[in-house]
Parts: sequence; C-alpha cells; structure tokens
Amino acid sequence: MRSLQSIIFSNSLAIVLTIVCVLPITAVFILSLTAPIDDAFADFGLWLHKKYSWSEVTFVTELRFAKVGFALRAVLIALFISFLYYWIANWLNFGLANVRSSKSIGKRSLIVEAIQPWIFVGPALILLLLFLLIPALTTLKISFTEPGGSASINNYSFLWDRNALGYIQFRLAMRNSLMWLILVPSLCIVLGLLIAVLADAVSWGVIAKTFIFIPLAISFVGASVIWRNIFAGGGIEPQEAINGVTPSYQIGLLKAILGHTPEYNEPLYNLKFWGNFYLMWIMVWIKSGFAMVIFSAALRGVPQETVEAAIIDGANPRQLFFRVKLPQIFSTVVVVWTYLVTDVLKVFDIPYALSANDDDKLLLATMMEAAMNTWSIGGSNVDNLFAAIAIMLMLTVIPHMIFLGWRIRREQKQLEH
Amino acid sequence: MYNRFFSHIILAAILIIWVVPFVALITTSFRSEVASKTSGFWTAFTPTELGHRFSTHDKGQQIKIIEMRGNIFKRINENEEWFTISGEIKSILFKARVPDSDKPGKTKLIRKLVPAGEIMNVRGGDFVFQANGDFVWSFPEAIAPKPKNLDVFIKQDPVFGAEAYFEVLLDNKDVPNALISSFIVVVPATIIPITVAAFAAYAFSWMRFPGRDWLFIIVVSLMVVPTQLAFLPILQGLNGLASWATALKQWTTDCELTNTCAFPTKSFAGLWLTHTGFGLPLAIFLLRNYIVGLPRELLESAKIDGANHMQIFVKVVLPLSVPALASFSIFQFLWIWNDLLVAMFIGPSANDDVVFPILLERQLGTFGDQLHLLNASAVISMVVPVIVFLAMQKYFIRGLLAGSVKGG
Repeated sequence: MRSLQSIIFSNSLAIVLTIVCVLPITAVFILSLTAPIDDAFADFGLWLHKKYSWSEVTFVTELRFAKVGFALRAVLIALFISFLYYWIANWLNFGLANVRSSKSIGKRSLIVEAIQPWIFVGPALILLLLFLLIPALTTLKISFTEPGGSASINNYSFLWDRNALGYIQFRLAMRNSLMWLILVPSLCIVLGLLIAVLADAVSWGVIAKTFIFIPLAISFVGASVIWRNIFAGGGIEPQEAINGVTPSYQIGLLKAILGHTPEYNEPLYNLKFWGNFYLMWIMVWIKSGFAMVIFSAALRGVPQETVEAAIIDGANPRQLFFRVKLPQIFSTVVVVWTYLVTDVLKVFDIPYALSANDDDKLLLATMMEAAMNTWSIGGSNVDNLFAAIAIMLMLTVIPHMIFLGWRIRREQKQLEH
Repeated sequence: MYNRFFSHIILAAILIIWVVPFVALITTSFRSEVASKTSGFWTAFTPTELGHRFSTHDKGQQIKIIEMRGNIFKRINENEEWFTISGEIKSILFKARVPDSDKPGKTKLIRKLVPAGEIMNVRGGDFVFQANGDFVWSFPEAIAPKPKNLDVFIKQDPVFGAEAYFEVLLDNKDVPNALISSFIVVVPATIIPITVAAFAAYAFSWMRFPGRDWLFIIVVSLMVVPTQLAFLPILQGLNGLASWATALKQWTTDCELTNTCAFPTKSFAGLWLTHTGFGLPLAIFLLRNYIVGLPRELLESAKIDGANHMQIFVKVVLPLSVPALASFSIFQFLWIWNDLLVAMFIGPSANDDVVFPILLERQLGTFGDQLHLLNASAVISMVVPVIVFLAMQKYFIRGLLAGSVKGG
C-alpha cells in the first residue's frame, strides 16, 4: 500500500498535466471550429449594408462585422475556458481519489481535501507569479544589466552623471513629482473634508455629492479633454480675420476670466513651471470625490455621544469639528492620504495627454514612457533605462507598501477565527 | 443662521466649479465646427457675433446681369444640414487692393469692416447689404461676375445640433472601432479575475492548507506594486509566446503561402491576462474580507449535509457574496475602461484595435482644432462608465469603504 503523500503527489501531477494539455488544445480547437462565425457576421453586415445602403465601402463593413464576430467568440471562449478549468480540475480530483482508494471513504476525503485548496488558489497564484512577481523581479535585474548582459549600475547614472541621458529629465520629474505629492493629496483631503461637512449641513447635499462624485468614473484622458475647454487659449480666428479689426474670442473659459487676449494663444497648462499646477488641478477634480465619500462615511461613524457631550459643554461648530470629530477620523484621513499618494505616483495619463512629454511637465511615469519611445539617441539601453526608472518609481511607493502591510496584518488579527 | 448661509454659498461655489467643465464638454459637442473653434462655449447660449463665409452665387451661374439680389442667410444655410444660422448681420470683412497713395503706381491691400448699408466695391460693382441679410450687387453694365467669397460677421442666435455625434459615430470609423475594442477588453478582463479571485478568496478564508496566511499577505502586498514595473518583462514574455505560436503555425499549417503566420505580440488576449494579474490582489483582498465574515454555522451545516467545498462555494458562498462581487466588478470595469497605460504598453496598437482612452489621446492631437468632434468623442467615451457608475453607486461606495475605512 502506497503512502498517502505519494498518492496526493501523483494525483496532483496528473491533474496539472491534464489541465496543461487539455485546456490550450480545447481553446485552439474551439477557436478554429467556430471560425465560420466571423464569415457569417461579415455576411450579415453585408446584408445590412445592402438593405440600408450604407455610404462606406463594403469592405469596411465586412471587416467591422467580422471583428465583432471574432470578439464575441473570443470573449465567450476565454470565459468558457476559465470556467472549464475549475470544473475539470475538481472532477479529476474526485475521480482520481475514488480510483486510488475506493475502499476507505476517510482516506478519500483526505486526498481530496489536500489537493482542493490548490485547485482553488492555483490560478490566482500562477497569474500573480507570471504577471506581477516574476516581471517585477526581472525588471530589477534588467535595471542592473547592460544590454550585452554584464552587470552594471550605469543605467542609474542619470542620478549623478550630468552627461547621462535623463539627468535633466530626472531632476525635473522629481521636482514635479514632489509638487504633485504634496499638493494633490492635501488639496483633495481639504476639499473632501470641506465638502463632506458642508453637504451634511444643507438639504441639497446629496445632489452636490453626486455631482462631485461623478468624475471618479471618468478616464484621466477624458478629464483632460474636459478641462482643455477651460484651460486652452485663444480662439482660432474666423476666416483670415485680423485681430483688432474683427471680433475675436477667447475659447478657454479661465483664460477669458483672467482677461488674456485672444492672440495670447498658449494653453494655461503649457506655461513654464506654472503649467504643472493646472495639470494637478485636473487630478484634484477627479480624486476629491473619493476623499469626500470616505470622509462623509467616517464622519457619520463618529459616536453621537461625544458630539452631544461637546455641545453641552458649549463647543461652537468650529471647535466641534476640529477638536471632536477630526481627531476621531484621523486614522481614516491617513489611509486616504496614502491611497492618494500611490495614485499620484502612478499618474501618467494627464501629463501625457496634455503636455506631450514636455520636459518641464515630466513625472516619473511619463519619463519612463519617454525613455522607451522617444529617446532614440539612447540606443540599445533604452530598455534598461526604462527598468531603472521603474525601480525608482517602486522605491517611492515602498513606505506606503510597508504601511499597508502593517495595517492588513492588524486587520487580519482582528478578523481571525 | 450666519453659518448656514455660508455653507450654502461655499458648497454652491464648489459645485459650480465641478459642474462647469461638464457643461463646457456637452455644449461644445453640440456646436458647429466654426462656432466651437472661434468662440468660447459660454457664448453659445446668448446671441454672439461670429464669423461665417459665404459666396455670392453658385459657380455655374454665368448669366449677364446688371443687378444681383440675394440673401446672405439663404446662401449660408443652403448646404447646412444641422445649424441654421439666423440673427443680425453686423459687418462684412472687406479685402481689396487699392491704389497706394504713398507709392504712386503701386497698390496696397486694405482690410476693413464694412457695416450694413455702406457701399463697397466688389469686382467693379457696388455691393450693399442690410442687417436682415438682403444684399444688392449692381454693376454699371451687364456682366457675368465670378462668385465672390466674403467673410461676414453675424450676431447670431443660439443654435445647437448633434452633427458632431453623427460625424464621429457614422462617418468616422475610429470611434465605433474603439467602442468595440473597449468592450472586447473590458468583458473578459472583468469576469476572469473575479472568477479566479472568488475561488482563491474562498480558499484563503475557509480551507486549510500550509502557508495560507503568508501567501495571503504576499498576495495583498502586491496591491501596491506599480504596474509599470511589470511591463517590460511581460512584453518580452508575450513576444516569446508569439514567436513560438508563429513557429508552431508555420510547422503545422500552410500559412506561409498566404502570409498569415505571424502572431502579434500585442494582442487582446495578452491584455486580458495582464489586467487579470494586476486586478487580482485587490479582488482577493476585497472578496476574502467579505467571505471570511459569512456566518460560520451556515457553512458548517452545509458540510454536515454532505456538501463538498466546490458545492458549498457554488451554492452557498457565491450567492451570498453578490454585493462584494458587484463592488469589485465595478472597480475593475471602471479601471479597465479608463485605462490608458496598460493598453498602451501591452494592448494592440493598430488603428482599428486601440481602446477608447488611446483613441481619445490620439484625437487630442488630430482634432486639435475640431473641438466639436473631440468633445463629442469624449462624451461617447464617458457615457458607458458614468451609467454603470451611477447605477451601481451603492456597491462602488461599499467597495471604497471596505478598502479604506477601518474594519469595513
């Protein structure tokens, strides 16, 4: 009689091998089997095209409908395969345990129970390993190697070498990152607190909160487009008209309010140095809603007794807020602050979309993109440079990581059962 | 009393700052091209002086005449489907070469604004127009004048139209393609991580296996790893996979004849998996915190009734975790729909396959002076997430609080 350990081992091996063989083959098989669906979609598109006599070329219609067909079946197959995994693995686990020890039910359930947790967590762990942990470590390695493969710290030379590629950019990126890090989270928190307090005091607070909340659903690029209408400058002149002779208008609201003349065409976010603050504001506009929601829940959680006691003692509203409520939600403020800091460090879209990688507006994340795609003079080590900047970005997140780990440990202890 | 008054004022001011950009976006998207690029959105609601160009008559119309009568508004609106211009004509920009008084024998270009009722010399004839748009163009003798383009400034009444939406959705194939691509990316990249994470969260909370707590802490601390850190190796890995797949296809099929062997490195499938990997830590964290809190008695009674873990998970835990699943799925949905960075590095880059944020980013460059199209495109990109967001607000807030307010 073989030991339980070896049965468990051989069963798991069998399950892994079956999964590795069966799933990809099934996927490819179904994918090629359902290929005619694309043609069917293309034909359907062609039929619609003829019926409603669309204006574009028939080829475009066919292509677009074939794409929809492919998309539909690819999505369905991907979902089917991921469900299939759990079903097959579980079925195999029970089946194999049954075959191996048909006599003893106790032993059978031991085998099943030993393997089952790994079936449940396996995909998650493998995906995390392949798409986060290993890549992150590989990046660390790449950042310390030359394109040829030898170890070196040259990729980090933008830290100290004046002539190195990225020296100036890194300094500007650090200056800007620092400004973003200090200003954006503080402004979001102040605004979030202010709005949370005010909205609780007035009857139409819920409506105000909904509107302030909506930007959270919008992409950073979308927000950039939105704010472009406010910050952009000078209307393009109507048909060759001349300034001074013909009426002409400012198309950016803020520039009009500031009284800039139309010929002063530069968008506010392009200003040297000060342009950064307009980009930051877009982020504040998006993220304040997040702070507001959390503070508003936290303020509602403040024990009513403490508030009443303070009122009886004669506290005015200001004292009530700063001396009673704020200290009690202080831990929430810290949590929100760390979340915002991480968000700010990773922000990429806003400066990328609006400043087209102007050196003066660089952040670490946009600097990475610039290193990869526009510093062609860097030659063969752009990848290594990219990795090195990524590691610098990582270093800035580490304090938050430690804080988060500590908080989760503490929470897990509370939840322990 | 005093305090309450200030509360109203300050909150109203903040609300206005938050809402005005949306008004700008939507107003601009409903204006005409000329209006949106020559005047600010706030002028769209009141009569505003704007420039237009019209030609006095059609090109083919070459009959000899002494006097031509017409109406400027009719000329402008002739080919206009969406925006019918009406209002009051203020002036015409008159440009012509006249003899230069300083340098005899030379001419100089003059430009001036001619108000209604004043005669100006156009192609040798007298051109007079009225504020209501009627113009008379009379010549000393019968000739067949060539059409003349004139720039006219009209104090025009507010006019809105959905032209930009029709143009972006029907005439331009980028926006529909981007919508399709965004859906291709967002559906599996939301459902796959939620499935994988739900199983893992169940295992982390109700199953016993060696290293459980440590694995959980490692998984959750991966939450703060910046995604940029993983791009390069993932790309290299996908590149390797693609070249293997290409070689395999070359070996098994006759694709070389049709030149269809190559598998692209940047594909939707790669994007799904990458988004799944990046979304898993938060998903596992949120779901495990929820599943761990389910009543123990419920699961144990199911066990006594002879259910195994799979049955308990599917029949008991999943139905009970719907709120947590909903709050994570809305997070993931919004994150992926709005994501530019991952899609840019990992996702397909062909024009027909880019997701909406990338398209919008490109349009910021290409539609630099077609603001009505840019804004319409942005509105379309926001419709889906804002609807989802407002419909599932409750779950979104619950998810936010679970992640950040103590003990949530």
